[in-house]
Amino acid sequence: MTPTNTSLSRREFTRRAALGTAATSTMLFSLPDLAAAGPTTLPTQLPSDASKLSPQSQAEAEARYQSILAQYPDRFSEAQKADLKRLCFALQPQLDRLRAWPVANSDQPALYLKPLVEREKKSNAAANLKSAPTPAKSSAPEKP
Amino acid sequence: MVSSDILYLSASELGKRIQSKALSPVELTKAYLDRSEKFGPKFNAFARLTPEVALEQATAAEKEIGRGHYRGPLHGIPYAAKDLLATKGIPTTWGAKPYENQLFDYDATVVENLRRAGAVLLGKASMIELAGGMNYRFASASLQGAAKNPWNTSCWTCGSSSGSGAIVAAGLAAFAIGTETWGSIVCPSAYCGISGLRPTFGRVSRHGAMALSYSMDKIGPMARSAEDCAHIFAVIAGHDIKDQSTLPLDKAAFTYSPSAELSAKPLRVGWLSNAWKQIDPHAEKAIQAAERTVRKMFPGTRNAALPEGPFEAAGGIIISVEGAAAFRELIRSGKIAQLADPLGQINGYVSEQIEAADYVRALQVRGILQQKMETLFDGFDVLVAAAQPLGANALDANLETDLIFPDPLGGIGNLCGLPALSTPCGFTDQNLPVGLQFVAKAGNDLAVIRAARTFQQHTDWHRKHPKIS
Repeated sequence: MTPTNTSLSRREFTRRAALGTAATSTMLFSLPDLAAAGPTTLPTQLPSDASKLSPQSQAEAEARYQSILAQYPDRFSEAQKADLKRLCFALQPQLDRLRAWPVANSDQPALYLKPLVEREKKSNAAANLKSAPTPAKSSAPEKP
Repeated sequence: MVSSDILYLSASELGKRIQSKALSPVELTKAYLDRSEKFGPKFNAFARLTPEVALEQATAAEKEIGRGHYRGPLHGIPYAAKDLLATKGIPTTWGAKPYENQLFDYDATVVENLRRAGAVLLGKASMIELAGGMNYRFASASLQGAAKNPWNTSCWTCGSSSGSGAIVAAGLAAFAIGTETWGSIVCPSAYCGISGLRPTFGRVSRHGAMALSYSMDKIGPMARSAEDCAHIFAVIAGHDIKDQSTLPLDKAAFTYSPSAELSAKPLRVGWLSNAWKQIDPHAEKAIQAAERTVRKMFPGTRNAALPEGPFEAAGGIIISVEGAAAFRELIRSGKIAQLADPLGQINGYVSEQIEAADYVRALQVRGILQQKMETLFDGFDVLVAAAQPLGANALDANLETDLIFPDPLGGIGNLCGLPALSTPCGFTDQNLPVGLQFVAKAGNDLAVIRAARTFQQHTDWHRKHPKIS
């Protein structure tokens, strides 16, 4: 096997994998690659699906880009600016997907391992129930 | 003279020889140091070797064992620590130019625990800069350059625990410590044909470890077998008052004895049907064979499916925001431009722009997902799938464009802090290792160890190693 062959086969694989994905989701091995959320693009181009974004989403992505330039006006080369713009647009579908997921006001943010805590609460509650003294029988009618 | 066959033995096997005094820790350490000096640069595996520390610790171990005080299975065993773990007086570079001269005056808790167990620090393993926290486009995103895969040096080891993967695969140390925020233990283990355990979030102290994502970073062992991972995990796991995110004493600690598995209940195994959209044709045969083996070993294996939702997006947003916060000064000062990778130089600026409300929403989604996974694990002890859908990629691949595919299992597993163990399960038709991963519910690290141990008792993929010359 030559590196060239490997590279070609990966590209082919990637192309086919991308075709099988309606909503593009990405992974860059050690980290999710938010920046590369779109299909293959040259760094200086906007993601090809940028035009699929709603006008509001496009405006938000553009505002994000402008905000970076305003905050750091002299920091980037022209090539980096183009790349930044691409990254700002590539992030947008991820945000849109996240926002579209139904979340209720009562859904608490999970910072750590909520299930472990809840499992413990359940087992403690069960233990307390077992060890609690049996209440004296009341003559009052039971509530429905 | 210690032969290379000895250097490829598992830490458990080396430990038995050391305990019986058939193997000298000093000789073993010298042999690993010689091999690492010779072959380490070939793979860009080490950030630095620590021969003085190693020989001092090995000599102390040998004397102690000679006096009849054997500390346990890691006593006298040489290892490498990923270069994001603080080591007193030894530079800790985080794989990145801006930190190349960084020195700490204390050891990370993991390093301290390993020292207490008698393990020998051979060196610091190379890594992707900032563990990939600012993102990266090329494998060369490291102060040490691209880590080369010992199975084929024109291929990558995967990241971000890239040096750790190369070191274990090339027989340069008995084991290594890696870290994972998303894929950084599982992927290098799969690419390099070794065993890697990503523990439940909060079981291993991160005191002294570079923070990338406060709510998702994990530290775990990369070794030659699942049993080795278990022994190492038993040493590094535990509550730490210096790390508030560690679990309470009774939930963090881990004790392990292989014989305890004999009386355990049979595992309920689920083969994941939707972990990957597609398996690379080069890796397909190996994965199919591994699936047959799993179904034979665990006769009740049923198909399982991951819940669907914006879980990768949620994980990505959490890492991006927490990473931008962790490296805020680096970004704002402009020193981020010193990173090696062109994407790493600018992506932090985009991450800074993510709104707080989106971050909180991602945390809410995580809460919902954790409940969904708890429900899924009511019916299974472990879920199984290919660790990666392909073998190692070419060293010069553009990771942004050449390697894009969904990874719901990696996203969900890391978002929920679930334990996972990657074990070698065959080779691609290009002779590159392929891995299988077992995932369990939070806190049930023993289940993934048991499942992988069972797999390794029925196969010998974990005993294969590349020819190095």
